[in-house]
Amino acid sequence: MKILAVDDDPIILELLSHFIEGMTDHTLVTAECAADALEAIKDNARAPFDSFLLDIQMPVTDGIQLASQIRAMKQYMDAPILMLTAMSEKSYIDAAFSAGATDYVTKPFEMTELKARLSLVERAVEGLATRTSKVFAAKAVTHHDGRPERAVQLHEPMAIHDVNNLIEFMALENYVQQLSRSDLFGSICFAFNIRDVEIFHENMSNFEYCSMLSDVGEIISDTLEGCQFLMSYAGGGTFVCITESGWRPDPKLLANNINISLAKTELFDNRGQHINPRICAGKAVRLMWKTNSSVMDALSEAHASAEEATANYQKVQNDFWNVGRTA
Amino acid sequence: MHKKLELPGIERIRARFLDMLEQRQRALAEHALAAWEGSTLQEINDNLAEARTILHQIAGTAGSLGFDDLGTIARNNELAIDAHLDGPNGKIASCPTEIIFGLDDFLKSSEALIAGQSAMESA
Repeated sequence: MKILAVDDDPIILELLSHFIEGMTDHTLVTAECAADALEAIKDNARAPFDSFLLDIQMPVTDGIQLASQIRAMKQYMDAPILMLTAMSEKSYIDAAFSAGATDYVTKPFEMTELKARLSLVERAVEGLATRTSKVFAAKAVTHHDGRPERAVQLHEPMAIHDVNNLIEFMALENYVQQLSRSDLFGSICFAFNIRDVEIFHENMSNFEYCSMLSDVGEIISDTLEGCQFLMSYAGGGTFVCITESGWRPDPKLLANNINISLAKTELFDNRGQHINPRICAGKAVRLMWKTNSSVMDALSEAHASAEEATANYQKVQNDFWNVGRTA
Repeated sequence: MHKKLELPGIERIRARFLDMLEQRQRALAEHALAAWEGSTLQEINDNLAEARTILHQIAGTAGSLGFDDLGTIARNNELAIDAHLDGPNGKIASCPTEIIFGLDDFLKSSEALIAGQSAMESA
């Protein structure tokens, strides 16, 4: 991997260089401020970076602003960004995840921890390369009816960009894992599932499907505006949300509001046909008293609950038309 | 005595850290004094914020180089300044004595560490 590390402390940069170049096969480029980092990105345009290590607290442009600027570059929309942070910077960590960070490493570094995090990043970079090659392959292959081959699998989490507080699923998992016991006390996760997502997935082109997911994500994000939350698209038409502000969401009420916004927003496919995505909400799952692994189970529980709500909705719809019928 | 890291070649970075620590402790002492003697809210808070930045940098690397105790003292001082600046007293033009005593402890620990390292090198 080719990594760009940005930190205003030369000792940190020396430590990172020493560790990464001495103990791994990765290549490290360093910068002492955001301006130098942007210059390095420009200078390395022909052989771009695979991932970034950014200090949060830097003068002039901090690491959170820099993460946003890197995310805004088309080339680095999905590149892993690890924030370098001290334990005292919890509020900054939240902002960093919102700005597009994938994970964080706590200073002072434990070399074993840094190595483990870099291994995760390397796997993410490899996964990214595989997905990118699939997308390029998909462009060349078409269905017999002329529809392009779908690159996004139905149950695959997908990065959706430019939606407030919507982060990658891997980043959401990392975010949840860093919540402390006191943070977990007020944290709740809940999820929304797009009804008939299989039909959308089957009948839409990859671009249409991704656009539809992005539009639904944006409407969910707009509906939750004003509440402290992070959300992610987890695949299968499900958006998982987490709040840690002590706010107790009413998922069903939120689902109604989201569906009203969806109804008011005119969404079309590429052929100009009106599309009507609607969502169902699962139950709100409290995270308090949960350990690291059961916190991840809680995310799955919220996800499954939203899918179950959709299944129940569809069953009720079917049963309604079957009332009074006999074989 | 510092805890040795297993990473080969770390001594060079450790030596650079100690060189920088001398400069940083001088800057820290200047900011602490300026905050203590400051008469306006901005003068006091700006100097405390500068001192906090220096402590933050030391706390971020000291532990990785085996200077765990110094890193902990730096972090505690950083948190104390944060608590003051973010709290209601951060709006009053007065520098708390506890912060100055805390910084003094840090400077003593820092001086002792540098002296200890010099003694080890000349032995």
